[in-house]
Amino acid sequence: MPSPLSQRLAEIVGAPHVLSGAACAPYVIEGRTPELAVFPGAKEEVAAVLAMAADGGVPVTPWGGGTRMGLGAPPAHPGLVLGLGRLARLVEHEPGDLTATVEAGMTVEALQAALGRRGQWLSLDPPEASRATVGGILASNASGPRRHLYGTARDLLIGLTMVLADGTIVRGGGKVVKNVAGYDLPKLVIGSFGTLGVIVEATMKLRPRPDCDRLVIARFGTLGEAGSGVRAVMASDLVPSALELADAEVLRALDGEAGSDGAALLVGVDGLAEQVEWQCAELTRLLKDCGLRDWRLLDGEERDQAWRLLGRMAPAVFPEGSAGMSWGVLPTQVPELMERGGEIARRRGLRAALSAHAGVGMVSAALGAAGAGAQRVAETLGEWRALVNASGGHALVEWAPLAVKERISVWDTPGPAQRIMKQIKAELDPRGILNPGRFVGGI
Amino acid sequence: MAALTEARKQSLRREMEAFLGAGSVLSDPDELMVYESDGLTLFRARADFVVFPRTAEHVSGLVRLAQREGMPFVARGAGTGLSGGCLPAEGGLVISLMRMHRVLEVDYDNQLAVVEPGCVNLHLSWAVGPRGFYYAPDPSSQQACTIGGNIANNSGGPHTLKYGVTTNHVLGLEVVLPDGEIVWLGGRRRDPQGYDLAGLFVGSEGTFGIATKIVVRILRQPQAVRTVLAVFDEIDQASEAVSAIIARGLIPAAMEMIDQLTIQAVEDAFGCGYPRDAAAALLIEMDGLAAGMDEQAARVVAACRETGAREVRLARDEAERQLLWKGRKSAFGAYGRISPAYLVMDGVIPRTKLPQVLRRVNEIVAAHGLRVGNVFHAGDGNLHPNILYDPRKPGEEARVVAAGGEILKVCAEVGGSISGEHGIGLEKMDYMPLVFSGADLDCMARVKRAFNPTGLCNPGKIFPSRKACAEAGLAYRLHPLEEKGLAQRF
Repeated sequence: MPSPLSQRLAEIVGAPHVLSGAACAPYVIEGRTPELAVFPGAKEEVAAVLAMAADGGVPVTPWGGGTRMGLGAPPAHPGLVLGLGRLARLVEHEPGDLTATVEAGMTVEALQAALGRRGQWLSLDPPEASRATVGGILASNASGPRRHLYGTARDLLIGLTMVLADGTIVRGGGKVVKNVAGYDLPKLVIGSFGTLGVIVEATMKLRPRPDCDRLVIARFGTLGEAGSGVRAVMASDLVPSALELADAEVLRALDGEAGSDGAALLVGVDGLAEQVEWQCAELTRLLKDCGLRDWRLLDGEERDQAWRLLGRMAPAVFPEGSAGMSWGVLPTQVPELMERGGEIARRRGLRAALSAHAGVGMVSAALGAAGAGAQRVAETLGEWRALVNASGGHALVEWAPLAVKERISVWDTPGPAQRIMKQIKAELDPRGILNPGRFVGGI
Repeated sequence: MAALTEARKQSLRREMEAFLGAGSVLSDPDELMVYESDGLTLFRARADFVVFPRTAEHVSGLVRLAQREGMPFVARGAGTGLSGGCLPAEGGLVISLMRMHRVLEVDYDNQLAVVEPGCVNLHLSWAVGPRGFYYAPDPSSQQACTIGGNIANNSGGPHTLKYGVTTNHVLGLEVVLPDGEIVWLGGRRRDPQGYDLAGLFVGSEGTFGIATKIVVRILRQPQAVRTVLAVFDEIDQASEAVSAIIARGLIPAAMEMIDQLTIQAVEDAFGCGYPRDAAAALLIEMDGLAAGMDEQAARVVAACRETGAREVRLARDEAERQLLWKGRKSAFGAYGRISPAYLVMDGVIPRTKLPQVLRRVNEIVAAHGLRVGNVFHAGDGNLHPNILYDPRKPGEEARVVAAGGEILKVCAEVGGSISGEHGIGLEKMDYMPLVFSGADLDCMARVKRAFNPTGLCNPGKIFPSRKACAEAGLAYRLHPLEEKGLAQRF
């Protein structure tokens, strides 16, 4: 017998778009099953659903492609899953303006395919593009290796429409690339994990697709040598689109063969053919002085596969289960912290796989967690965090089994600005119904 | 707020001098006059004090004092703003950051710099230039404007087409919140945890607090630069060339348009070599790797010729390049030779709408019996129609303001915005409902309240006034300027 809430939701979105009971199984979060899952077909329906939830004090968990739902503190009660998958249209694409407006539930892959037909792309390459949605990557601030040159969502999002917790539809920013009218609400919403509003539509800056796009894998004997390669590239005239530093474990997964050792640098180079050619030549010259062992140029499908693997490295290295962190550190600290992070794991008898967007200082650090015991994994993550915090950086548990999350905080200890964050949350979601408790400092 | 008595003024002055040091407080009416307006002289308002802190602790002390006294306060950089954003409420404190102007640190390896808010934009590029670096955001006023002011307005400039605006170059800020607490928003490292308060702070027009340290990215200077001047007999052709260049897969560093009236003014004043009879000129600059640069230039030249350019000139050397840019950068000064005053408008449109909107702009201004010079960032659709007028002629100023409003309406109608880089300030508060609903504005007001619950930090800016709100159904507070009959809304 359907609950009164599910009946009222069915009136808003249509009965086939409300799931309850066992049908909610695909939407389990950290072992907790939501009461209902609802899939609105228009932003007005999102508004009506939220107004109803706010009225009843029911927590709401926004859901895009579900690729990053493990991020954040475990929810006390997932309440109502609000799926955006039916809002998946490309609303507007004007190639001459280099902008596109898209509904939040469209997958990144579908968006790139549509834009690609007109010779353009959204210069973001988050992992799992076939499932990840535009709304989801904005809410979780996901990015990929190409952020080295093209930046993150914060550099590309120029306007958005979201629905606040009380069901009000609001817009921030606009459709033009330069705009200083009003506060930059899009910045506030990027990376807010659905705690301030549900993104329903986004307008983004685009780029022309480069004529030529290559990936270079350069191998070195040690992480230190590869690190000196990073420094050499950073100090040169090169403008690579990506600069990834990978340790031996990551390299093994990339190669798909046993016995690789050392470390590698993966450098993305794109642009006009002549630019790419010059950069590849210059890159070889620079890296030779840093102890380059071996060098290979990837193209086409081989290149795309390497990028995909790099985007979701941990499951490839540790298919039987892992826990992972992302570290934000200074670019110059990356090689040493990766080295020391690897030592910490080895000392505790665990395998680690570390790679980094080396030029921007973001390290992805994964631990093989299967059979290790939650306590040991949590302690190792804790030691990593202490290492990173001591260097002035921050460390976020990006994914981990629930038993590990029960032993270590997902987020760093919040700083003094947390007070303002809590006030913003209280202003925009006074009843605390949007993704409660999952964000920094218990927001 | 009731006006301060002379005795109270003296005692507050002594209190502020005690912790700022002598010579750090102005309260003499003649001295205060200098701080009565910014670059937009249509609005004027006088503070009780202008103060010159040297440290974040000074700023914090001043803010706490203002809160204790219930005095409004506003931060001010070089005063080059063009929307009245740094004007005081009548009375209160203007906190000038001009003595906090140092480049505190440059970290070349991590490609960042830490500066104080009063640091002049161009001085940072000078400081890092010898090591082959520069700071990318380059507002036209970069020789004078401060990075703190750039933060407040999220300033742009000619090279933002490729490199983005200020917000794309700011990593973190130390700010004094409106209650006096000093906190860091963001920092030197990417993706800090929590809401992106640094991103939100940039462009908040001084209503969220006062930045006291700023961490910015610095970039390596490009290997090569090419600058092209394309000359057109029809303004529509020039507009179409902008889209044609993008369609060829290029994002130049800058694409600036200059119309005939402006060309003639510039030629009269400086003789930069622009053809006086051209309807419009496009100044296009590409930068980056030397490899492939000739190919890029060839694509630009081809796109311009295809859309009807009668002449396309490539700067042969740095001297010629500088001369071409001088014409663009001196345009505002050149208007001074042909008109006693002008109002710089700032609207943005999708660039594909350039031909139709430029026609409308010229029609609107002509209908009001006025002249307009257009010089603007065509690459990102950021228009700057400069309406020329004579303030001594009765009624002319009102016609300028009316024409400006109609232009903004056109920008909003074609999907654009009412400000690309100058901010809303006092000037455009009442146009906000053209682009935002009551719910949008209410959401912004709630965010403002989270930072600035007493409303004393730069009051009376950004949000529409009673007249505009009556239409949009918003709550309204009378601006102190209006209460005193010193300003009125249009």
